[in-house]
Amino acid sequence: MIRVDETKLTDELRRMESEYEPLLPVEKTLIVWSLSLGVVLLAVLVWFSHAFFEQ
Amino acid sequence: MMHPMPARLKLTEDWFAVVAGLSIFALALASMAGADLLGWAVTTSVWMDPAKALAPVSKAFAGIKGAGAFAATFFFLLALLSIGARLLGLEVRRFAGGFAAVFLISYLCWFLGSWARIAATPDKLKGFGLSWSLNLTNEAGYILALVAGLVVGNFFPGFAASWKEALRPEMYIKTAIVILGGYLGVTAAEQVGLATSVMFRGLCAIVEAYLIYWALVYFIARKYFKFSREWSVPLASGISICGVSAAIATGSAIKARPVVPVMVSSLVVIFAVIELLLLPFLAQSFLWHEPMVAGAWMGLAVKTDGAAVASGAITESLIVAKSLEMQGIRFQPGWILATTTTVKVFIDVFIAVWAFILAWIWARKIEPRDGENVSAAQIWQRFPKFILGYLATFAIVVAIGALAPAAVPKLKSAMGQANVFRGIFFVLTFFTIGVISNFKKLWAEGIGRLAAVYVLCLFGFIIWIGLLISWLFFHGVKPPVA
Repeated sequence: MIRVDETKLTDELRRMESEYEPLLPVEKTLIVWSLSLGVVLLAVLVWFSHAFFEQ
Repeated sequence: MMHPMPARLKLTEDWFAVVAGLSIFALALASMAGADLLGWAVTTSVWMDPAKALAPVSKAFAGIKGAGAFAATFFFLLALLSIGARLLGLEVRRFAGGFAAVFLISYLCWFLGSWARIAATPDKLKGFGLSWSLNLTNEAGYILALVAGLVVGNFFPGFAASWKEALRPEMYIKTAIVILGGYLGVTAAEQVGLATSVMFRGLCAIVEAYLIYWALVYFIARKYFKFSREWSVPLASGISICGVSAAIATGSAIKARPVVPVMVSSLVVIFAVIELLLLPFLAQSFLWHEPMVAGAWMGLAVKTDGAAVASGAITESLIVAKSLEMQGIRFQPGWILATTTTVKVFIDVFIAVWAFILAWIWARKIEPRDGENVSAAQIWQRFPKFILGYLATFAIVVAIGALAPAAVPKLKSAMGQANVFRGIFFVLTFFTIGVISNFKKLWAEGIGRLAAVYVLCLFGFIIWIGLLISWLFFHGVKPPVA
């Protein structure tokens, strides 16, 4: 069964708003690269799948 | 009283699923050599007369009748899974007691779901002397099992607690997926060209899902909901990739405290239930003319292996029935489910890759610590092992089909026997997912904000981007006609 620690997480989740960890440059890079690669690959793979595989 | 095994002798649930699935697969395969080792397994037909519902899968065992087949199946699974419980270090007697209850209720739901008023498809109504049915096929039993599980979990928590050793949806579904590999292998062996196409498109779809989904959810969780990195990574993985496994694997990869992915997993399980009840019916209404898009969509949108593959099974039943009703076309069963499963399996395979990438970034760039490396052993440890079982049964069956095409009918019959157990493991999964989805407990922990980001991302764009990606890669691809 799924079990949850006795620790109350409400306080921790509330604290996160006041003690916000700003996005680091490496996180921004990860997000931007991931989305960019996703969009470019989307176009390439859609073309490839329709060009080389039967319907 | 039996004592739990020492830690060093314990098997993981993942590995046990491989062993159990391969054992059933091997027993079924023996029928090709004339040894009918699983012919006694119970099947349930769509029924109007309950006395005629149950029967052994092989005619050679007709003498034991439905009741004998049911008892044989129950005791076989009880023995197999009790061995597993022992190897997993569980208290075997408690497991056996819990499993008996779980099995009996689950199978009762399966039996009730096969009632012709619920399950009969339009082409079968005349045979049953009926003018209408709900047209849900016997897989309505899955939904009944889920609802029964939700009732037990939320209104009879005492029962749920007493069965806890047997409430193992991940183990049941992983075993089912290992068996499913062989069943889908037969399908692939019969239609190699289309199978290759489905595999390639499935791979494309999940590469896209990882790159787009994860980054978007992570950004929203961090930027707008102000979650810390420790919470955002499992949350993004749980919402965007493959629920429980991904949340836990990527959470471990960045060394989050265990409670974080567990909380996320609770949300994942609950929302998977909602998706499971909703999306197959949406797919039937709007995508019945694009069955493979619907199958891929279930794989991309519905989180957790169990709920996704089950959604694929329900979607297949609904769409096959609707297509027959609307166009008189009966699609060959197995293809929509194969698409869902293929997408889901690739997602599972890529969890290890994504966990590796995150572990590397966190170890190297975000929380660098001297001398810390992500070893190959850690990656292997995080790899979902049941995927190996799935790939093995799939590959063995495809290889047999390719090397000896004349043996395909026997192969199909053998995998039909194994598939009986796949169906049983599915229904066990549905029931146990329902039982562990304890809504009251989750809300008592005050994680409404986590739920808010989940709802926003899942229903705001995950489901719809998943639909778009599925459409782009699978539109126009049709299953063969039966």
